[in-house]
Amino acid sequence: MRQRMLDAIKRSKADYTEVRIEEREDTSITYRGKDLETASAVIDRGGIVRCLCRDGGWGVSTFNGLEDLASRVEQAYECARVAESEEPIELAPVPAVEERVTILLERDYRGVTMSEKLALTEAYNNILLDHSEKIVDTDTRYLDTFSRVYLATSEGTYIEEERPMVTVYGFATARDGDNVQTAFESHSGQFGFEFVVGLEDLYLQAAQRAVDLLGAETVVGGTYPVVLNPLLAGVFIHEAFGHLSESDFVYENPQAQEMMVLGRRFGQDILTVFDDGSVPRARGSHKYDDEGTPTGRTDLIKNGILVGRLHSRETAAKMGEKPTGNARATGYRYPPIVRMTNTAIEGGETSLEDMIGDIKLGIYAANMFGGQTMLENFSFSSAYAYMIRDGQIAEMVKDVILAGNLFTTLQNIDAIGNDFHWGDTAGRCGKGQGGLYTAEGAPHIRIQNVIVGGK
Amino acid sequence: MNILERLSSQAEQVEVVEVQGENTSVGFEANRLKSSQVEETKGIALRMVRDGRLGFAASSDLSAIDKLVDNLFESAAYGDKIPISFPGPQVPAGVNVFDSNIREMPIPRLVEIGREAIDIILEVEPEARVNVALERGVEHLSLRNQAGTDISFDRSPFSLFIDISRVQGDDVLILFEVVGATVWDEDTLAFARNAARKLELAQRSATIRSGRMPVLFAPSGSLVLAYPLMLGLDGKNVYTGTSPMARKVGEKLLDRKITVVDDPTLDGRFGSAPYDDEGVAHRRTVLIDSGELKGFVYDLKTAAQSGVESTGNGSRSLFSPPSPSPTNFVLEAGTTPLSDMIAGIDEGLLADSALGLGQGNVISGAFSNSLGLAYKIEKGEIVGRVKDVSIAGNVYDLLQNVAAVSRETEWIYNNFRLPYILLEDMNVVAKQ
Repeated sequence: MRQRMLDAIKRSKADYTEVRIEEREDTSITYRGKDLETASAVIDRGGIVRCLCRDGGWGVSTFNGLEDLASRVEQAYECARVAESEEPIELAPVPAVEERVTILLERDYRGVTMSEKLALTEAYNNILLDHSEKIVDTDTRYLDTFSRVYLATSEGTYIEEERPMVTVYGFATARDGDNVQTAFESHSGQFGFEFVVGLEDLYLQAAQRAVDLLGAETVVGGTYPVVLNPLLAGVFIHEAFGHLSESDFVYENPQAQEMMVLGRRFGQDILTVFDDGSVPRARGSHKYDDEGTPTGRTDLIKNGILVGRLHSRETAAKMGEKPTGNARATGYRYPPIVRMTNTAIEGGETSLEDMIGDIKLGIYAANMFGGQTMLENFSFSSAYAYMIRDGQIAEMVKDVILAGNLFTTLQNIDAIGNDFHWGDTAGRCGKGQGGLYTAEGAPHIRIQNVIVGGK
Repeated sequence: MNILERLSSQAEQVEVVEVQGENTSVGFEANRLKSSQVEETKGIALRMVRDGRLGFAASSDLSAIDKLVDNLFESAAYGDKIPISFPGPQVPAGVNVFDSNIREMPIPRLVEIGREAIDIILEVEPEARVNVALERGVEHLSLRNQAGTDISFDRSPFSLFIDISRVQGDDVLILFEVVGATVWDEDTLAFARNAARKLELAQRSATIRSGRMPVLFAPSGSLVLAYPLMLGLDGKNVYTGTSPMARKVGEKLLDRKITVVDDPTLDGRFGSAPYDDEGVAHRRTVLIDSGELKGFVYDLKTAAQSGVESTGNGSRSLFSPPSPSPTNFVLEAGTTPLSDMIAGIDEGLLADSALGLGQGNVISGAFSNSLGLAYKIEKGEIVGRVKDVSIAGNVYDLLQNVAAVSRETEWIYNNFRLPYILLEDMNVVAKQ
């Protein structure tokens, strides 16, 4: 592969040329209710050529047939010449590397039979189904994927990187008349089959929660102090703040640069936020990003002050900063763009007890269904929640969707828990190119004055 | 080698689907042409029923056919037992979904359309950063099965994405629009003018109180209402019992002003085609008729599970087996002119777009969304943009009582055609 890629690049007329080829095999199993919906495997192989003409723009060619890479390079070059940049496009320098990154799985799922994977998934599905008569539907999934990504550039970089991922999901739907409630759990990481066995308790929790939600009242809308559990706090920071720190948002936008000017205070001294693509085995980790830049930790907010942002080589050059290893692509159909990897709120000093203790009326919101941001405005929904009354966790409530303005909300974070951990749920981020693996980490946090939608 | 024949001797039923696509796109970033891309896609997907069990496998690596076939046999060995029957030859829906103007459109023409769209936006909002992507393509699908179906057809999808951001201090306005078609529409720039009009209206700001008031949903906002209905009308959710509409065919569930149709036979529309992705001929299906539930959308499998016929709504991508999906999801126009709807509101909200669509317990009909773009209506006039506003409710309750549905409809997100919908009395939460 190496020689074929390098030969094709050698003939390129572009200022910069990059070829990335991906070979992937996935196994997926889905139970829906009592029925096995799918148990199948797919083979995906394809490539992308990206050419840069400094005074033109980017040209891209993607393909499944790998026979004639040289003509793909030519095609991408022709595309690159179409665009007309006002100023030449530069790429921040990164050292050329030549490396093969292999990963050792404790129990490689590629050697596990379909029948064993099926038995595991069916057992998990039965936990959901058998838990209560009120569980009317389940969606239980097993997914393993193993990619080998080859990256070669005209600057002499050649990287082969193995990227495994194993994931299980459990989705339980409980129904009582017209009242339909769902609960969801997942578990995912860059591990072998061993990582997804022994998770019976996780499925039990999902089943019980779906049933419990049937008895929960819809939260009364209003403004509350809210304590977020670590999983939800992680999603919150990804959605509400993380996307603003992606430099493709600011690098050609003077107003946005002003808004995101380094040194600006974003939160109280207790707030530190970072992105780290090198956390071992986390969902968002790779040794190199899809431009061949090594990943690592980038502080975004330190003690309340904005100190950094996420870059590709292009955005880094444009802003006179260093590439951070955040140019990521959702597979060979896409060129890399600036994306988060594993994003986190650093742990603090407050115990959960203290955080809740002085709340007279508030909400404890846990896990997430989803989130979206429209830059300064965000909205994210918790999977389940409880009222906090007189310093104690009280009754369960449902349909808790938190919304607000980023700037005031970050300032309103007034307690950070001492219980940081990385989430191992199956998080994905949909920016631009569909689902890309990401992870989030956080401790419990408390935010004052959050708008909660409800009845 | 003929895979269909090779597999037919070893299984009761076999289906071979081959897809091939070419796609060309140009992308503007921050008002400037930044990139262009060509994409070629090839792949093959197989299904087979062997010993009564259904299996599926797919590959984009056409040199690895033996491995593909091995995967198929393994999948079928464990597959579920479903009384599915791949269809024999059917008469296709007469619908036009291919346009050589799209297939042959040169890159410079795509660039020109993108520039014109950006100019329209910058004229009203010179500070805006506009990203535009234009995509034109040709998709070829061929499908053969052991029952004698042997079809192939071409579609020429064309899509325009526009993404506008305007930052003033800490105030950010984002507007996102997508339009698509399969036959060239001369008035391509209508969507850009529409976006410009929304920006113009947003230049003034207004404040709104919390409380109950009329809410007028623009087509892009009425997706909040249409999306839960779409899930509830999905035959899979009906079969599994999660749809609140399950077992209610024939009942009057919604206001008589609400009629919902799935229609793949509309010429030139994004979701149109002569057949679905399982070789079933497309047809128009009325799902909700003047508030009365008429039926659901099914593919072959969910139809077999439910003991009904497929409605021709089998939809698939290369790497996943078919599942039921609406084609063009149409909420039919009403009788009230939009101008009358606005004129009749003394104090209310115009909801243009919502954040977090699809979050939460959507299937139940419950929604709670903060609004990305919303306006205050006062004494029959749109007076300005309101921020930090959210709405919540349950679609199945709210749509029992609809004040008015507009005569006007718009196509949004490629394959939704939606009107303006006025709900007289909704809870609005605004941050003071």
